[in-house]
Amino acid sequence: MRLPAMLLVLSFIPILASPAELTIELRHDGGDLVSGALVYAVPDERTSAAEAPTATMDQLNRQFVPHVLAVQTGTAVQFPNSDNVRHQVYSFSRAKRFQIPLYEGMPPEPVVLDKPGVLTLGCNIHDRMSAYIVVVDTPYFAMTEDGKATLTGLPAGSYSLHLWQPRAPAASQAQRVTLEPSEKLLVTLQTD
Amino acid sequence: MTGKLQKSVLVFSLCLAAAASADKKPIFSGFALLGGASQPQGAFIAEPVAAQLQMGIDWYPSPALGAHVHLVGRTDGGDSKHGVLGIAEAFVEGNLFSDTSRLRVRGGILFLPTSFENIDALWENPFTISSSALNTWLGEELRPVGVDTTYFNNGFMLGATIFRGNDTLGALPPVRGWALSNRWTLAGEKVPVNSRVFTSVSAETDSRLGWSARGGWTGRHLSLQYSYLDNRSDGLRYDDLYNWNTKFHIVGGGYHAGAWTFAAESLWGPTFLVVRGRQIVSDISATYFLMSRQFAHGRISFRGDVYNDGELQDEALTLTYMWTPTRELRAAAEVSTTGGTSQVRIQLRYRLKAR
Repeated sequence: MRLPAMLLVLSFIPILASPAELTIELRHDGGDLVSGALVYAVPDERTSAAEAPTATMDQLNRQFVPHVLAVQTGTAVQFPNSDNVRHQVYSFSRAKRFQIPLYEGMPPEPVVLDKPGVLTLGCNIHDRMSAYIVVVDTPYFAMTEDGKATLTGLPAGSYSLHLWQPRAPAASQAQRVTLEPSEKLLVTLQTD
Repeated sequence: MTGKLQKSVLVFSLCLAAAASADKKPIFSGFALLGGASQPQGAFIAEPVAAQLQMGIDWYPSPALGAHVHLVGRTDGGDSKHGVLGIAEAFVEGNLFSDTSRLRVRGGILFLPTSFENIDALWENPFTISSSALNTWLGEELRPVGVDTTYFNNGFMLGATIFRGNDTLGALPPVRGWALSNRWTLAGEKVPVNSRVFTSVSAETDSRLGWSARGGWTGRHLSLQYSYLDNRSDGLRYDDLYNWNTKFHIVGGGYHAGAWTFAAESLWGPTFLVVRGRQIVSDISATYFLMSRQFAHGRISFRGDVYNDGELQDEALTLTYMWTPTRELRAAAEVSTTGGTSQVRIQLRYRLKAR
């Protein structure tokens, strides 16, 4: 190929590789914006398992922090106890069953979440403590704040868009979107 | 402790000792308390100087199976019989679970899980030295001996308890009166009601089972719970134990956001004993409201109590400051006042490292 033609082709590569950005606006049927929901985009071309650093689910003032933690499949989750009382953390969910016996401070080993799904966490001492870890097969996820969440760094391509929220755990809607390179797309989802 | 109970404790302890050599060892935890209080009077029944050691032994070899023992040793046996050393709680636990729900079954002697202030391990109250009149009474006179089942699903909870013992539940409020204390009755202990009769959580004299049911919901910050209990006691006297037939409702709630905690519970219901064929009924009630704020190395709590023994109503206000310079050490000071009387309490708590 001649040099000018090569240069012309090479000049398009940055555009082809430019990641897209997807903003999701989430509203109730009545029109109110919804915060605290998890939105995630699963690409048709699956990515490899996470190489992300350890995620953290803390315990502070007898509450799990955060209330909903989203991680990619394969992430190792630490459960530090920042309280000055002991907790006994468990999950009986199929995605990962485990129990950390009565402890304070940092447990010796993180828990590796190697299957997608939802973990319902509890404490066997404080029955009213609860939280969720949502394990997803994608690195593109975010929690809505003021009704919106923005996913960045998405390669061009097709995705299925999903929603999960604690009050409607079974309502995982899927909507298809296709993103062009460098595109910034706004999608509005509705929930019950 | 009674002979039967001693044998049970020995067998239980041997099982735990055997488990210590197993792959999943039991965890030993607990704390030591040293406390002082100004002269007890009325609802303020603390001993001037008292020390206690509370130990928990927990063995959970798998998420499906576990066991727990709560032992107490103290210097203030007071006027109780068998109240110096013993078991506050001991149960085995099994769990059945699905993806989002859990069925927990506990069998043994256990605290009824209703309290919004005694929320820590070993039924400890992290907010104040003395508990409310409501939970002081439950800690003194109620300890179901039986089977408790709790179902958890997506923030909702349903529970039920079938129990023996607790035939004398209901004696203290109408006869001795309500109290603000942190003294939990032990299995087999006999607490004086007056100069002639005692109350005991282990009292089983009428061969009738009692029952309790509860339901609740927990959201991100707010928890609500309703409970009902009926000990189905026959209300008759058996030597130095006088049975009281007691039924009550408890409505409670807690709100937790950041460093702030708010809690409130209300209990009401009739209790009666039978004297010469006639029921003597007292309608008892107790309500409290708690407000507490956690700081980096301490906590300040304020509680208001209102309680009625069936004839007279009284109120109390309690202010508590807790200082926790380290994870293990806590120093607390508390002042409570009701009508014309006040009491000051101080307490030093050292928490043992879990092993």
